Amino acid sequence: MDTTMNRRRLLTTAALGGAGIVGATALGSIAPEDAFAAPSLTVEPGAVDPHFVEGRVTSITGTMLLVTSSDSSLHSIRITDGTSIWKLRPTTFDRIAVGDGLYARGVRLPDSTLAAESVWVNIVNVRAHLAAVGRNVLHLEHRGQRIIGHIVPGTTAAVYNNTPAVADLSLLRIGRHVQVIGAWHPDTNEIDIATVYAAA
Amino acid sequence: MIQVIAALQPLLIGAVLIQAAGVKLAHRHAADSARRSALVPLVGERRAPVVYRAVGCAELIVGALLVLPPHAWPEAAAASALAVGFLGYLGYAHRAAPDSSCGCLAAARTPVSRRGFARAGALLAAGLLATLAAEHWLPTLAAHPRAGSAILLAEAAALVTLSPELDRMWLLPLRRLRMRLTHPLSGGSGVPLLASVQQLQQSAAYRRLGVLLRSDVREHWEEGDLRLVCYAGRYQGRRVTAVFAVPLLRYEPDAVRVALVDDATGATLLHIDSRDLDPPADDRPAAVPGTGPVAAEALG
Repeated sequence: MDTTMNRRRLLTTAALGGAGIVGATALGSIAPEDAFAAPSLTVEPGAVDPHFVEGRVTSITGTMLLVTSSDSSLHSIRITDGTSIWKLRPTTFDRIAVGDGLYARGVRLPDSTLAAESVWVNIVNVRAHLAAVGRNVLHLEHRGQRIIGHIVPGTTAAVYNNTPAVADLSLLRIGRHVQVIGAWHPDTNEIDIATVYAAA
Repeated sequence: MIQVIAALQPLLIGAVLIQAAGVKLAHRHAADSARRSALVPLVGERRAPVVYRAVGCAELIVGALLVLPPHAWPEAAAASALAVGFLGYLGYAHRAAPDSSCGCLAAARTPVSRRGFARAGALLAAGLLATLAAEHWLPTLAAHPRAGSAILLAEAAALVTLSPELDRMWLLPLRRLRMRLTHPLSGGSGVPLLASVQQLQQSAAYRRLGVLLRSDVREHWEEGDLRLVCYAGRYQGRRVTAVFAVPLLRYEPDAVRVALVDDATGATLLHIDSRDLDPPADDRPAAVPGTGPVAAEALG
């Protein structure tokens, strides 16, 4: 806990400009075209992106996830200190469970494991009709199937007409189209809602 | 009493069939409805509109025969046969093309559901009951105006509740009314993380070093009236943490600051204040839903 607090204090001080800056010139060129050049794409159009994996977690060993993709291929994903993990919200490695679905992006190592930079666990993107509303629940009609969307107070956000996100969901209208980004409860028709996009 | 009920069924079935025929024959989107229906896998895309209209003709003829005098039991038998056909079609659609539209009573796209089966079953039961009728529905209704109207209304209400196509006309308004009265979605408060992320993505600092970021949001916390949002990144071959300071309660992208902190040494390598950067020449791009994390259709 102390480590986290110290780290956050350090980062906060840095972001507010209170920390001394190591001279950038000491580290090499500061020409924008060098320092801020976009990494070049190494994937041929149409080819499989080796730096991306999707699938379901079949086992977890240490910081390694064994994942089975929807094409039945097996992948090892290594989670590092620098990996961002999303499961409804930015979270930590211990929240990943066997059976979760995930998308991971990172760098393919020579031993064919993927060193993950970002992992999105159980993320779903659903365009649906808002069929009914209950206390902190949205009933979504998606291609004739019912999806139960749970609102998580403090986390769920709404974006109306592409304006900045707000926590107030009361402008949603039954019968209208919505787009929902959420975290799936594996093997159910239920999701926790991260963001709902709607017209108001 | 059973005679009264039986005698009234042809009116009800006839009305339903004529309504269904109207959708299939006269609606301006009838051909599209046919192409979305489960007839396509059954008879092929080219013939689906023709078959769709033929079914509509059959419904119209049987419906008209049922509603108009004289009374004859084969009419009810024909209606029952149609209902059996509907049940078979729904069973096929449910198995072979669960994503297709039922194409039953309305032009609205409605997948095959249990309610659809229940409605076809109810029509079949009504058709079989109608074969027991001894006379046309008109004299029966004239003889028992109150009981007859009540029976017809109750049956019509049952058919409406079994019709997903008609939900928009009664069920959704009822749900909207309940929502207006009970406010089930009120109570959201605070500033969502997404609001801060949207704001930092609109900032000059993010436009400058967004290409260095390699991860999604790793952690975030609040400090006074600021929200600190961290990403992992790479800068000149070093693993760094990009920490953004975003105003929490104001929308002021120009106030966003960012520092790149070396993960190995903890040294600040770079600090950018959006105010120090030139304003962009063109309009800021609006945030687009779904462009954040990799987003895909529902898993499973």
